[in-house]
Amino acid sequence: MVHISDGILSLPVLAAGWAIAIALIAVALWWSKKKGNIDEEIPKLSVMTAAFFVASLIHIPVGPTSAHFILNGLVGVTLGILALPAIFIGVVLQAVLFQHGGITTIGINTVNMGIPALIAFCIFKWGNKRGMMLTRKDLSAGIFGALAGGVAVFLAVVFTAFSLILSGKEAFSAVAILLTVAHIPIIVIEAIVTGSIVVFLLRVKPELIGGLGGDEK
Amino acid sequence: MVEYPEIDRYSSLDSPMHRFDPRAKLIAFTILIFSIVLLPNLKLALIGLLASILFLIASKLPLRFALQHIKWVFLFVVPFIIIMPFTVNGTEIFSFYGLTMTYEGLEYGILVAVRAISAVILVLPMIATTRFDITIKALAKLKMPNMLVQMFMFTYRYIFVFVVEFQRTWRAMAARGFKLKTNVYALKTIGKALGTLFVRSYERGERVYQALRSRGYTGSPKTLVVFKMHVLDYILAGTIIGFAVSLHIIPLYLHS
Repeated sequence: MVHISDGILSLPVLAAGWAIAIALIAVALWWSKKKGNIDEEIPKLSVMTAAFFVASLIHIPVGPTSAHFILNGLVGVTLGILALPAIFIGVVLQAVLFQHGGITTIGINTVNMGIPALIAFCIFKWGNKRGMMLTRKDLSAGIFGALAGGVAVFLAVVFTAFSLILSGKEAFSAVAILLTVAHIPIIVIEAIVTGSIVVFLLRVKPELIGGLGGDEK
Repeated sequence: MVEYPEIDRYSSLDSPMHRFDPRAKLIAFTILIFSIVLLPNLKLALIGLLASILFLIASKLPLRFALQHIKWVFLFVVPFIIIMPFTVNGTEIFSFYGLTMTYEGLEYGILVAVRAISAVILVLPMIATTRFDITIKALAKLKMPNMLVQMFMFTYRYIFVFVVEFQRTWRAMAARGFKLKTNVYALKTIGKALGTLFVRSYERGERVYQALRSRGYTGSPKTLVVFKMHVLDYILAGTIIGFAVSLHIIPLYLHS
């Protein structure tokens, strides 16, 4: 439910969402173009995006209802700055293939999930560098992977709540609070799953961690 | 467990919406969606909803299919219909235990719902009436940056591959007695299954790139689809865009 539907947000919020999203994607693509051969990255990046998309289709029972994975933290940890175009593609496909989220809200939804993904990437990189000195590699990756996964979803929910409140109607704040409370179990679930995926990837395919276009190749 | 994206399942039907040029269709309906989403009052929004339903009928998509795709928006809209009447200040309808239901709030909740539902309905005549790969090619013709177009093509194609792959993994897990519950053990196991999916897809991504390179892939896709605008396409697109604009302009004249 972190993807907001059409018809709810005000024009300034929608416009700001599109502007920020386009600017961030342009920077991300420009930056990775500068760093290396983007033609080589695109097929790999797309294949990973597809894998994340499929993972986000999995429904997990939460109490009486079910929730699906968001995994924006993991996208950040694995793809680095290229998480932004990946999340954009994911948001568009969710909107047109499954009608989750809206057309006019593609911009703001990309921002709401993309910026937390980048923050998750920073938390993971920063924390892991320090954590590895103190304890086992696995343990530190697990802890900071879980932290990154949890924080990414938490921030996505906070950003979404803010987009609702910024849309002008004071009355939206009740919905925003409801949204945040409803996501607490999902934050915990995402943290556990992201942590375990990060540990798994570190053992099996460590080059996947730290951004496809990153420097740790 | 995981479902296929089947948005273009009925794209081979024949209707005015199916015959509509994909490029013009994308532009016209996107403008109409933006127009309806930004409508300030309920009467206009209801006209928008009516128009959306007419476009859906014109597309001849089966009702069951349409409802399956429309139903998700209710999840997001229902909290608004329930909460808004009690949180917007205005004329009181009734109150109990300190909760006051207002006319303005009710109207605003319904307005949000009507706009959201209209937008979702319009996505169907826009997207479900063209094969999705052709829609992506139409986006390319509309000057979407090449990198994004390619990402759309590859991602869309590999979603199907990975749905099958994950279903296989899932079946194997189920065969060994795994049951999906919300506890740490089950979540960690899912994490490992997903990790396997990511590792496999990454390796597949490398192979895909090598295979593409060896066949002369340079990063610019060639397409065999030829788009051609006919007179009817211009008329239909003009009508939709005109309607979208007039929804916002006509009320200005009615008030002055």
